[in-house]
Amino acid sequence: MLTVQDLTKHYGPRIALADVSFSLEPGEFFGLLGPNGAGKTTFMSLVAGLRPADAGEIFFNGERFSPERIEQRAQLGYVPQDLALYVDLTAEENLRLFGQLYGLSGALLRERVAEGLRAAQLEKRRAEQVRKFSGGMRRRLNLVAAVMHHPKLLLCDEPTVGVDPQSRNAIFEFVEKLHAAGTTVVYSTHYMEEATRLCSRIGILDHGKLLAIGTLDELLAELPFTEQIRIARNDATSPHEAIFQQFGQVSTGDDAYILQPRAGLHLSEFFAAMERVDVPYRHLTVTRPSLENVFLHRTGKSLRDG
Amino acid sequence: MRTIFILLEGEVRRFLRDKSGLSLTFLVPIVLIYIFGHVFGVSGDGPSGIPLAVVSETNAPVAATITAALQKEKALRIITTDTQAKESKPLSEAQVRERLRAGSLRFALIFPPDTESDDRFGVRLKFLENPRNEIETQTVRGLLEKTIFTSAPQAFLASLQKRASKAIGQPNLDQFNHSLAEAITKAFGGDANETYARISKGTLPTNTGASSTSGNSFLDKLIKIDSEQVTGAQVKSPMATRSVGGWAMMFLLFSLSGAATSLFDEKKVGLYQRLLSAPVRRTHILWSKYLFGMLVGLVQLGALFTAGHFLFGIDITTNLGNLILICFAASSACVAFGMLLAAIAPTSTAANGMGTFLILTMSAIGGAWFPTSLMPEFIQHLSKLTIVYWSIEGFLQVLWANCTTLELLPTLGILLGIAAVVNIFSIWRFNHGQIFE
Repeated sequence: MLTVQDLTKHYGPRIALADVSFSLEPGEFFGLLGPNGAGKTTFMSLVAGLRPADAGEIFFNGERFSPERIEQRAQLGYVPQDLALYVDLTAEENLRLFGQLYGLSGALLRERVAEGLRAAQLEKRRAEQVRKFSGGMRRRLNLVAAVMHHPKLLLCDEPTVGVDPQSRNAIFEFVEKLHAAGTTVVYSTHYMEEATRLCSRIGILDHGKLLAIGTLDELLAELPFTEQIRIARNDATSPHEAIFQQFGQVSTGDDAYILQPRAGLHLSEFFAAMERVDVPYRHLTVTRPSLENVFLHRTGKSLRDG
Repeated sequence: MRTIFILLEGEVRRFLRDKSGLSLTFLVPIVLIYIFGHVFGVSGDGPSGIPLAVVSETNAPVAATITAALQKEKALRIITTDTQAKESKPLSEAQVRERLRAGSLRFALIFPPDTESDDRFGVRLKFLENPRNEIETQTVRGLLEKTIFTSAPQAFLASLQKRASKAIGQPNLDQFNHSLAEAITKAFGGDANETYARISKGTLPTNTGASSTSGNSFLDKLIKIDSEQVTGAQVKSPMATRSVGGWAMMFLLFSLSGAATSLFDEKKVGLYQRLLSAPVRRTHILWSKYLFGMLVGLVQLGALFTAGHFLFGIDITTNLGNLILICFAASSACVAFGMLLAAIAPTSTAANGMGTFLILTMSAIGGAWFPTSLMPEFIQHLSKLTIVYWSIEGFLQVLWANCTTLELLPTLGILLGIAAVVNIFSIWRFNHGQIFE
């Protein structure tokens, strides 16, 4: 469906994207995970044909992608990070306009507008100007406006930034529904929870470089540990911080210690030690490592640090 | 107090970084003051160079005297020869009438063959005008009256001496002049010989009563000026018809430059990312903006002229076809100007600031507020580079001079040419600039 080869982009002396290469199969849900400034939006804008790449190639359905080819662009849907809507028009008018730009008309257009309003949960407010909508409502409409033509490839550039939990869930459900219907999705985010929940394959991007790519399991398999232990940070546990460190690498958070057990450690040894110092089991939770650990492992910094 | 100073410092810093704000604060007033200064004579030079054609079809000395006096008048530019011809020839009345009708000349003074006649004492002149601008017309009429009424009496006395010499013979006239000089010096003082010399030459003393009310009344009977309005005589509402074009252009430029700078607002919210990822090209966006601007411009001009028709009696129906054509060309040029602003300005604020500066300057030097002929010569040249100048020319040609389409074509061509050149540059800038990125 989509292949990028050695994709490179500079802004002046700054490298925004450096030799990024990967391929997507039809129907994949691909997540591009990285902190702010990692190059996610640059990647999206190159694939959407908004900017020319300095080097590298993009292939869409086996053909070299050219922004000049209108018929190729007609198969793409792009959800920009900005709320790219005409705020003086109503929700319905926005959807109709964007649908018409993709060549829809007549009954099909009416059907898609109604479908879009339903998906954005804006049926009752279809005749209101977008300027009167909340941020979440605008986000939902922003997403729906990009898929009026049922694109084969949907590019979502951080579509949940600044969104309330209810709208976020609505967006997740909508994108999942599109994916289930066969749309290939490229979804950029700096929320690892979103990538974990939605994406079948994930690429980790930092400073313009694609650091890792694979399924969640493949990425987690890179880590030197398979579980981690969360230890609540309180009066019962804090005096024993030195003991925790005997079992692996400990990072200290505001309300918990995270222990990444050293290679070959049997967890029973750790729990036995806790029993000896009277740390109750309720303060200990065994968890699976996350993409945050993968990012930390690859870059030496937290995903949230950027 | 400290809080106030902290906030004040912030205000000053922001103001100094706002280039468009700075330009509006300092540059616009300075440019406008400069133009106003020249128009109203604050600069000391006063108005300069209103063209006045002088056609002499007589050998009467009064013609040369008045022409010489007019040439000394700084505010007028006296044209006596046909500069367009290969060989410099004196202008004829027919040529002057044609130019008045075309609008390239607005005023002409004709000394007809019977300027002076043996049958009557005094002079007869013809004043032809195309009073398409009220301020300019009043200025020329005032200057002409002043100059003629102060210089003509000199010529009358010379003429009187000539006639007297013919009637009573030179020796008798000399004797009469001597007696008169002695009587004058006895009554008012002075040198009798000098007074005699002046009387003989027909020269009035400098404190002659020519400018007094009674003198004027007397001169009115001696100087007969036949005025004729060559163009615009049929216009029902001259004041409104003359000024409507200038005001229309200023408002059109403001509204259309505002519409074009909406490009920045749409860029800001990321609309171009969405549009350009769809089957939409940059040229589609630019053309939609251009056509929208044209539509707004035509509707605005239509509303303005219709209101002018009903409120002030401006005749828009007689030459409606040409009025539509000039509205189309003017709107086209104004939209191009707005697109240029959006193409060259880095931000919406800068575009608005630049727009205000250019619109006010173009309106001032283009003749929207006062006639260009009252401005310094180099500004008159500059004004011909502005959309405002050519649009006003077009509106006056249509509404004032009731021109034909053929006569209007050059003006239409210039406006559409400006629009085309500006658009080509703007499209190039849009394709190489950052508005769509």
